[in-house]
Amino acid sequence: MALPNQQTVDYPSFKLVIVGDGGTGKTTFVKRHLTGEFEKKYEPTIGVEVHPLDFFTNCGKIRFYCWDTAGQEKFGGLRDGYYIHGQCAIIMFDVTARLTYKNVPTWHRDLCRVCENIPIVLCGNKVDVKNRQVKAKQVTFHRKKNLQYYEISAKSNYNFEKPFLYLARKLAGDANLHFVESPALAPPEVQIDMAAQQHHEAELAQAANQPLPDDDDDAFD
Amino acid sequence: MDDLEKAILIIFDESGTVTSVLKSQAVAFCQQIKDSPSICSICIERLCFSNLVQVQFWCLQSLHEALRGRYSGMSTEEKNFVRKSVFSMACYDTLDNNASSVKVLDSPPYVRNKLAQILVTLIYFEYPEIWSSVFLDFIPNLSKGGVVIDMFCRVLNALDDELISQDYPRTPEEGAVSGKIKDAMRLQCVSQIVHAWYDIVSLYKNSDSELCAFVLDTMRRYISWIEIGLIANNTFLPLLFELMLVEGLPDQLRCAASGCVLAVVSKRMDPQAKLTLIQNLQMSRVFGLVAGDGDSEFVSGLASLLTGYASELLDCVKHINNGDLKRASVDLLNEVLPSVFYIMKNCDIDTTFSTVQFLSGYVATMKTRSPLTESQLFHVGQILEVIRLQIRYDPVYRDNLDVLDKVGKEEEDRMAEHRKDLLVLLRNVGRVAPDVTQIFIRNSLSSAVGSSLDVNVEEVEAALSLFYAYGESLSEEAMKTGSGILRELVPMLLSTKFPCHSNRLVALVYLDTITRYMKFVLENNQYIPLVLAAFLDDRGIHHSKVKVSRRASYLFMRVVKLLKSKLVPFIETILQSLHDTVSQFTSMDYASKELSGSEDGSHIFEAIGLLIGMEDVPLEKQSEYLSSLLTPLCQQVEILIAGSRIQNSEDSPSKVTNIQQIIMAINALSKGFSERLVTASRPAIGLMFKQTLDVLLQILIIFPKVETLRSKVTAFIHRMVETLGSSVFPYLPKALEQLLAESEPKELVGFLVLLNQLICKFNTSVQDILENVYPVIAGRIFSILPRDTIPSGPGSNTEEIRELQELQRTFYTFLHVLATRDLSSVFLSSKSQVYLDSMMQLLLFTSCNHKDLVVRKACVQIFVRLIKDWCTRPEKVPGFQTFVIEAFAINCCLYSVLDKSFEFRDANTVSLFGEIVLAQKVMYEKLGNDFLVYFVSKGFLAAHCSQELAEEYCQKLQGNDMKSLKSFYQSLIENLRTQQNGSLVFR
Repeated sequence: MALPNQQTVDYPSFKLVIVGDGGTGKTTFVKRHLTGEFEKKYEPTIGVEVHPLDFFTNCGKIRFYCWDTAGQEKFGGLRDGYYIHGQCAIIMFDVTARLTYKNVPTWHRDLCRVCENIPIVLCGNKVDVKNRQVKAKQVTFHRKKNLQYYEISAKSNYNFEKPFLYLARKLAGDANLHFVESPALAPPEVQIDMAAQQHHEAELAQAANQPLPDDDDDAFD
Repeated sequence: MDDLEKAILIIFDESGTVTSVLKSQAVAFCQQIKDSPSICSICIERLCFSNLVQVQFWCLQSLHEALRGRYSGMSTEEKNFVRKSVFSMACYDTLDNNASSVKVLDSPPYVRNKLAQILVTLIYFEYPEIWSSVFLDFIPNLSKGGVVIDMFCRVLNALDDELISQDYPRTPEEGAVSGKIKDAMRLQCVSQIVHAWYDIVSLYKNSDSELCAFVLDTMRRYISWIEIGLIANNTFLPLLFELMLVEGLPDQLRCAASGCVLAVVSKRMDPQAKLTLIQNLQMSRVFGLVAGDGDSEFVSGLASLLTGYASELLDCVKHINNGDLKRASVDLLNEVLPSVFYIMKNCDIDTTFSTVQFLSGYVATMKTRSPLTESQLFHVGQILEVIRLQIRYDPVYRDNLDVLDKVGKEEEDRMAEHRKDLLVLLRNVGRVAPDVTQIFIRNSLSSAVGSSLDVNVEEVEAALSLFYAYGESLSEEAMKTGSGILRELVPMLLSTKFPCHSNRLVALVYLDTITRYMKFVLENNQYIPLVLAAFLDDRGIHHSKVKVSRRASYLFMRVVKLLKSKLVPFIETILQSLHDTVSQFTSMDYASKELSGSEDGSHIFEAIGLLIGMEDVPLEKQSEYLSSLLTPLCQQVEILIAGSRIQNSEDSPSKVTNIQQIIMAINALSKGFSERLVTASRPAIGLMFKQTLDVLLQILIIFPKVETLRSKVTAFIHRMVETLGSSVFPYLPKALEQLLAESEPKELVGFLVLLNQLICKFNTSVQDILENVYPVIAGRIFSILPRDTIPSGPGSNTEEIRELQELQRTFYTFLHVLATRDLSSVFLSSKSQVYLDSMMQLLLFTSCNHKDLVVRKACVQIFVRLIKDWCTRPEKVPGFQTFVIEAFAINCCLYSVLDKSFEFRDANTVSLFGEIVLAQKVMYEKLGNDFLVYFVSKGFLAAHCSQELAEEYCQKLQGNDMKSLKSFYQSLIENLRTQQNGSLVFR
């Protein structure tokens, strides 16, 4: 599960695969975890970085070996061979780029072909950006496939722990497992405006209630 | 083990014991083999004898890549060989009749899936034309047992995933292939496949339930497009129901069976046929099963089934017009609803979303007909009960939620998410059945309050949340008059203090709720003292929890905004009561507490400003109130600044935060004072704000690099521009000079926004100021912004690029307001002249090429304005006229619209096009034939426009009918496009 010269540990560890289109922020996301960033190992030959991310739960320490296949989408490399022995996964898309969400089903299919029945989290990244293209309400894929969905912002650390907590609970089979201390994270580069975020979410709830506006074709006179 | 096998093991190694050098050698070696022309046979051969899963996976992966990449170039023999070999592997045969050979099907699922993917790739290329018998050949092999059945399912699943399912983005070509394959299968083999499924499930249901569940899960995917009669018949349905009904069968199998029945129920068909199908199912047989173990997988599947079934019936009710059939649908629906409610109330499962969707649909049908029938009223009551139970917090989390620790935060987020759709449903119910809903809320509230001495936090919170959410569906009128029992409920709530009011959640939802119903108090002023008490005592601003008191400050501000004229008699009391809160806000100690977004506590100042800023307050009192607030705040700033002036050292973050708090407080306070009051009727008040501005501007000098302070002071200048009007002028030069000290894109944006405000408010009165700052800004911006396009597309979605885009947009807005507010002479001042050329080139490029059409339109509007201002005789701006005719007219008005990307069906494009036509009209008016002759000869005729069309254009342009000019020009452009037919590439 580890890469050359990487320490193995005597507490439970899991292989976590992170997939998604290039530029969705997979690398930025895993790099937020500082100790993982410190101990990561890079294999330029196969284009994969493995970050060992430790978390402290009420049942003890656990480690996720995060396989970040950064940029290797293009190279070939092992392709779906990376997924072998994956025990959990994160599929990432970018809420400011619609196409990256459109490709989520394909990532999911390719992942499930190799890893049947593993817990998977869908993450919509970059929710700190004002002009989002994929609204929370439009994200429906996770319902079809029974995935967990979280909106995150790697740059501001918003919801950083959520995906890991969900996966840890599924892997441990304990819905009440929780993290007892926060991992050291890189300081946020942007402050997410939580009020705006909540407002945004409240708006969505309301929007569901509104009739569609009439088509405005004044522009075509 | 040979070299290839060794190399593969190395590249897949996860043990951490292989060196990087070795690994890269192995990768290179494997790649070399992959590139060999005989890769297919190398892989197939290897698959016959290697039982190392990594090797098998690598071979299958390489084989797959080879097929995808090189199929069309392969020889017939090679294709035959691959087909035959792959099929044998999938059927558990050995390739060389050697009993000791390895069989791929004995490997783990991911290897078998990879094999299935290859088979599907072959199907993609070869079925039905070349390899028509693939499915029919497979079926006899199923008798070999579970291994082959499992593989058959994997192939069908892969076929669905890779080619058929609509869940994935597909190219039109893939769509066509998928259609072709489905058609061929329907004609040739679907019924045989269904028979095989039936036989397998019948045979193995007791011995290998996992296999049967796998088969049924595969079948479920196919039900949507195969002939429904193959499943919905007297053979298959009894089997599916038997699987569901027989106790003791594993959950997984029962669940798979219910999934298939759901697929049958959901099959798309005409409503009348659907009703017949549904009636045949006799679904009520399974209703009783919901009472089983509430947490089981099967009950969860059953919940989906019943919700899906009920949704289909609702569709029948809506779309069937025949009276008898409609009634039959209603009866069936009424029959299933109790089970749906039962599940929602008793089972801890995650089908809430689809069930709530269905219930919303059900409630929506009630909007059209009134009054509600008895059974509908009953169901509405049930739905309300479901909502109440679903939105209630679990007491387990009471303490976590109260202090909002990590667990509490998580639970609160989860609940917020969970509540969204439920509360939308509540509002819909509230609309169709307001009386029932209000009574329900009243009963919930009073039972929560009076339930027992044991404070029931969760019940109170849920009841208040219901009342809060209900308010959203009320009309303004109903709110004001207090329709129904609101008249009783609102005063009751205002005078209530719950035993559990110290709880954070209860206190918060209480405040939000009374704020929502404040319009009622607006019409019933006798309740104002109750409102003030609720906000000012320990239920509100003086609550023991800071999160509650800050929220209370914000909500109090909103209440003041609404009621302010009625509050004059209470001002003294309010100020007294807030005295402690106000002085706390700007103290060092308070500032260090966490600040969060919009609820920073400064709203209390806004509320006070709104109250004391009213003209109803006598001048004397007003000055007294205002100075008692402003004077200490300004003094505090001066002391803090003085410290920094002397020490000239690193400033502590707490000092910065402290100053920031004070600016925010003053800013918020000033919002209540109108420009008229401050400048016309009571200049003494204006003077107080000017003195304050003087003090705050010093902050920019002392702390030029502190971004947070800078933005807070800028915000205050924005405010003062609005409040002080033109009397702010004397302060501007100094302020702008300080703000220009920094020139990062983000800061420049802030600066431009301030200038835009000044221009929009004061028009040409700020000409002198602009003549001074424009050259500086232009110099900065032209050195930052690229001359052509800001990179876009994958990888360019970075914060830096977004900042540049933002700067670019703001700069165009700035140029636009300058031009359209009679300030174009600013561009011509002696110091600005040097930037004129850069600006014109940028405008030209943008008006032709920017990807945002709204920006292009703004640039064309700028041109129109400049042409009007500058194309005079004698020429005001040397060279401008030529530039307009030769560069702008030809490139923007002709070439940019000729481009095929200029899409006339798009609304923004049409609007841009209107401006472009207008620009031609204006050019003709100002420049006459100088423009027209050049445009026609160098533009149209060079683009092979016919003489007649060119002449007609001249006539239209000279005429007065803009609309007909516009439509003519569009047809001319379309005509030119077809003539070019791609032979001449513009731009």
